[in-house]
Amino acid sequence: MSQVARVYPGEKDQPKKLVYVWQRPVRLFHWATAICISVLFLTGLYIAFPVLTTPGEAWNQFLMARVRQIHFFAAYLWLVAYLLRCVWFFLGNKYARSGMPRPWSSAWWREFFVELFSYAFVRRERSTRLGHNALAGVAYTIFPIGLGLAQILTGFALYSETDPSGLAGRLTGWMIPLLGGSFRAHMWHHLFAWGFLWFVIVHVYIVVFDSIRDRNSLVESMITGYKSLEVDATAVGKRDQEGEH
Amino acid sequence: MVLKQCDPSRTTYDVLREHGVSRRDFVKFCTMMAAAIGLPSTGVAQVVKAMETKPRLPVIWLHGLECTCCSESFIRSSHPIAQDVILNMISLDYDDTLQAAAGHHAEDIRRDIIKKYPGGYVLAVEGNAPTKDGGVYCTIGGETFESILRESAANAKAIIAWGSCASNGCVQAAKPNPTGAVPVHKIITDKPIIRVPGCPPIAEVMTGVLAYILTFDRLPELDRIGRPKMFYEHRLHDKCQRRPFFDAGKFVEEWDDEGARKGWCLYKMGCRGPTTYNSCSNFKWNCGVSWPVGSGHGCIGCSEENYWDNGPLYERLSGVPLPGVESTPQQVGTAVALTVGAAVVAHAGVAAVKLRKPASNNTSVS
Repeated sequence: MSQVARVYPGEKDQPKKLVYVWQRPVRLFHWATAICISVLFLTGLYIAFPVLTTPGEAWNQFLMARVRQIHFFAAYLWLVAYLLRCVWFFLGNKYARSGMPRPWSSAWWREFFVELFSYAFVRRERSTRLGHNALAGVAYTIFPIGLGLAQILTGFALYSETDPSGLAGRLTGWMIPLLGGSFRAHMWHHLFAWGFLWFVIVHVYIVVFDSIRDRNSLVESMITGYKSLEVDATAVGKRDQEGEH
Repeated sequence: MVLKQCDPSRTTYDVLREHGVSRRDFVKFCTMMAAAIGLPSTGVAQVVKAMETKPRLPVIWLHGLECTCCSESFIRSSHPIAQDVILNMISLDYDDTLQAAAGHHAEDIRRDIIKKYPGGYVLAVEGNAPTKDGGVYCTIGGETFESILRESAANAKAIIAWGSCASNGCVQAAKPNPTGAVPVHKIITDKPIIRVPGCPPIAEVMTGVLAYILTFDRLPELDRIGRPKMFYEHRLHDKCQRRPFFDAGKFVEEWDDEGARKGWCLYKMGCRGPTTYNSCSNFKWNCGVSWPVGSGHGCIGCSEENYWDNGPLYERLSGVPLPGVESTPQQVGTAVALTVGAAVVAHAGVAAVKLRKPASNNTSVS
C-alpha cells in the first residue's frame, strides 16, 4: 500500500476526525520559538543598525547594551527550547518525529513529489499524513533545525568572544577560526538570520493556505493540539494503523 | 647597536654587564618583563634567574614577502633598555635586514646555526612564501624563500610567525593572490608555530613573546589558532576607551560630527574593534602614545585573518563571504525576502482561481 492515499481535498460533507497531534511540549516549543526568533531578529537588526540616538550624556545611557542583553537573553531561552524539543523528538508521540527526511526511502521521495506537485497545482493528489509531510519535513529540517543550529553555534561563538575561555567559548569558539575570523563569523550570523524571515513568510502562508484548502484546522491545532481531517475516513484509519514515520 | 654573530654560550646577564648595564637596571628590566608577560611579582625572580643562567637563544630571523614593518616595530620597543636587552637576550645570528654580513658570508652563518644548534634555535619568520611558479616571486641568494624556510625550519626548536604575513598571509595573499602567497603554517606543519599577527605586531607584544620563551624555555599558552593568549585573547572592543559610548548607544555618524569631536564609538564608521583580537587597547602604540581608535580612526583589523578582503574598511557590514556576492547580508536578506513574498502572493492568486474549481474537474494521475 502506498504511503500516499488518493485524497481530493475541498470536497464537502466528508466525515471529520479529530486527532490529538501536537502534544503540549511541541506547542510550547513552537510558540517559544515564534517569540524568541522575533525578538532575536528585531534586536539583531538593531545591533547591526543602531538607528536610535540617545539624548544626554553617556553616563546615564545604556541603550545598546540593553538591546544586546535582550538579544542574549532570548538566545539562551531559545537554546533551552531547542534542546528540550530535541529531547522531545525521542520522548514524544509519533508526530513529534514526523517529517524526518528519509532520503533512502522511495516512498518518502514519492510523498515529497506528491506534495510538491500538489502545491504547484500540477496534481490534486495529497498525502494524508497527520504530522509533517515529506516536503514540510525538509523545510523544517533546513530552516528552524539546521539554520537554528547554525545560529546557535555562530551566535554563542560570537557571544563567547568576551570570555573565550568560558563554557560557551570552549563549546562553540571553534566556529570563529572555521569561518575565517570573527568578522566573517558575524557576516554568516547576519545572513543566517534572514533565513528565518524567508522561512516565516512561507511558513505562515502555507499554514493558512493548507487550513483553507484542507480544512484541517491547522492553525488552531498549534493551540489546541487537535487536528481535524476532512478526508476519506478509511484512508486515515489505514494510515494510522500503519503508523506515522 | 652591535649585531655581529655572538657567542650564544654567554648569558643575557653577561652580555648586559659587558654593555655597562648595572645590576639595578637589570633587575628593573626583569620586573618590567615579568609584568609584560603577565607574571605576578613573585615571578620576577624566575625572570632574573633565567637571564642569569640560561645561554642566549640563537635566533634566525628570515624575511620573505613582507614590508619589514615587523622589524621596524620590533626595534622601537618602548622601554629604552628593552630594545637593547631583547636584542642581546637573543643571539640574533641571522637577520638579513639588520646583519652586517652580506652575500655568501651571510648565508653561511644561517647554515652554520642550523648545523651547530639542531633543535636549539628559534626560527623567526617575517613575511611569507609565494608558492606559484616554483616560488620564483621571492628569492634570496638564488634560492626560493620557500626552500630557505623549509631548510631553516627542519632543525628549529620552534617557529615564530611575525606579523600578519607569516600568520595569515596578509595583503599579498589577498584575492586573487597572484603569487600564491601562503602563511608559514601552510608550509611547515611539523613544528610548533606561534602566530603573532598584526601589521605590524605591537613592539611590546613581540618582545613579550621572546621574553616568555627565554624565561620559561617553552612557548606561551596559545589559543585555538596558535596566538599567545596573553596578548590575543581579547578583542580591542572589550577594553576600548570608547566602549562606554558603545554601550550607551552613542555613535559617530560622520567624521566631522559632534560625536567625532566628543570621542564617541566608531562602530558605525566601520571600526573593526569588535572583531579584532589584539592588544592595541592595552599597550597602545609608539611607547603608549596613542592607537588608531584613540586617534579617532576606526580599527582596520590588521591582525585578523582575511582583513584585506573584508573591505570596505569604513563600512561595518561588508559583503557576504560567498564567491560572486558583493551585497551585504541585509541586502541579500531583503532581496530574497521580497522575492519569497512575491512568490507567496503569486501562489495565493493562482490558488484563489484553482481552488474554486470543482474537484471533479481534475482527476489524479497515479
